[in-house]
Amino acid sequence: MAERRGGRLAIEPQVVRMPRNWGRQTSLFQWRQPAFWLYAAIVVVAAVYTVSQQQLFQKLSPSGWALSWGLLLLYGLPLFLAIYLLDLYEREPMSLVLGALVWGGVAATVLAGIANEGWGLVVARLGGPVFAAEWTAALTAPFVEETVKVAGVVLIYLIARDEMDDIMDGFVYGAMVGLGFTLVEDVFYFIAIFGGSPGGVLAGFYVRVVSSGFYGHVLYTGLSGMGVAYFVSRRGEVAFGRRLAVALGLFGSAVAAHFLWNSPFLNFFPSSVDNVGDWLRIPFAAAVKGAPLLLFVVVMVRLARRRERMWLETALRSEVDSPWLSEVELRVLLDPSARRRSRREMRARAGDAAARLLKRLQQEQINLAMVRARAASEDGPELVRQRALCASLRDALLAMPGAALAGTRREG
Amino acid sequence: MSAGAEPAPLPAPPLRQRRWIPVIALAAVLAAVTSGGYLTSDALGEVRDGAVAVGTSVRVTPFPGWELAGRSTDPDRVRLTSGSTSLDVAAFPFDGTDVDLLGWYVDNILEPEAEQFRVSEEVEPVRLASGLTGSRIAYVGLFGDVQAPIEGEVTAVVSPTGQGVIFNGWAPAGQLQFEIDEIDAMIERAEIA
Repeated sequence: MAERRGGRLAIEPQVVRMPRNWGRQTSLFQWRQPAFWLYAAIVVVAAVYTVSQQQLFQKLSPSGWALSWGLLLLYGLPLFLAIYLLDLYEREPMSLVLGALVWGGVAATVLAGIANEGWGLVVARLGGPVFAAEWTAALTAPFVEETVKVAGVVLIYLIARDEMDDIMDGFVYGAMVGLGFTLVEDVFYFIAIFGGSPGGVLAGFYVRVVSSGFYGHVLYTGLSGMGVAYFVSRRGEVAFGRRLAVALGLFGSAVAAHFLWNSPFLNFFPSSVDNVGDWLRIPFAAAVKGAPLLLFVVVMVRLARRRERMWLETALRSEVDSPWLSEVELRVLLDPSARRRSRREMRARAGDAAARLLKRLQQEQINLAMVRARAASEDGPELVRQRALCASLRDALLAMPGAALAGTRREG
Repeated sequence: MSAGAEPAPLPAPPLRQRRWIPVIALAAVLAAVTSGGYLTSDALGEVRDGAVAVGTSVRVTPFPGWELAGRSTDPDRVRLTSGSTSLDVAAFPFDGTDVDLLGWYVDNILEPEAEQFRVSEEVEPVRLASGLTGSRIAYVGLFGDVQAPIEGEVTAVVSPTGQGVIFNGWAPAGQLQFEIDEIDAMIERAEIA
């Protein structure tokens, strides 16, 4: 909170409320949760359709289909890792992350395909075919697709409520749903719209991934997921009305961005691609529609990461100057690039084994923050165990020749 | 109970029961999103000039006495009928001319379905009210389990957006002549994006 005092802006210390469930790891397979069974039923039924569609594409163009998936893996795998690693301190359980990806690629694409068709009929009936040809994509897909995608994030939350304890978690799950959706949708576009020949697939890859890959479903659903996470993780901290307004606002932003993308507004895409200039115009046209949203999401993600960093600092502040954590180590922990740098220095000074041990120590010190966040008392057994583990790792590291010189000094 | 007394709060439902509520609500939202368009479209019915939409790109206005007899997707298709005579309209993306589309339809749809099949030698050019042009042929044949020969007229149109539209008006042989003018008029007034 900031206020003016004597003409100067004074910054009040911010009260950082720790999420109680930080660090808890829950699997997707919660047999007793009704939400899991709804998720499983929809995914299984949709998978039948998805598999048959992929088989059809493979029959239509075996080489185009294989090339499509090959190219999309080149794009999807690094993006998957980037999203997964965005959460600097508490990585989400892999089964839930993959569950989100599968929802996007299988369930959301099939549900959206059915729903888009139905709402497209409504647009055609109300507006006529000429209007429909221009506006159906803008008036149906943003609402339909964003709803069925964010439903996946809500289901993930209902399956494993403990896992969504901050906005960043919502972004990770939402972006994974969006990534799954965009990969399967891209294969459809490459084969059905761009013709499916290797040349057509390459053209589709250029238009949809090289030119527009930074915008689109990953951002839309990431934003909606942040809204869901804000709504569910700030319970007891922020009033219901405000939580709902923020969640709906973020969902509305995703819908609006998707609408802009699909609408004829600000459309600088060439109507046909005849020369090099037309090809070069495509990324520019995509940036006009997509870059503002990308910028907005980057700002939101940075804010969410800053909040996570504050949590980590709050949780570990009282553990500093102990046999398991020093002030220097805390500063390093709070800065991901400093963490990487410290491991590089350790490797140079004391070898690979010491660098690996330092990495383990840093991970356990972060886990200590999470254990502390959910500990009921100062001397809870889990907390005591975690402190002892960190202390023993630290001792082991300091016993290695040259390791003490890399900024890990025994305190206390 | 005194006026100032606070009513006792209701006890919260047991956790197991509460776990179902958001799941049911979410399932309802998904059902509404996926089926809502079809239900709304059916409810709108023939509201706007009684027109029938074929997918998102074609609309045909039935003449009085004609009604929608069936609808299917993949590709988008409707059947209008006056009782004895039918007009099938199908729309799907097509890369080629209207003559290509006509040839493709005859070779891949009509002829394989027929036991005996004869098609007019000349392709007749047609022009719709919207300015789009197409091609038309007439045919007669024996189809499937139907004992009587079927007489029909196929019109193919390809829009500038790459939408191929097939109009297939057909009836038991001898009856088509009574309704062919209405079929042609419906085709001529069809709106194609």
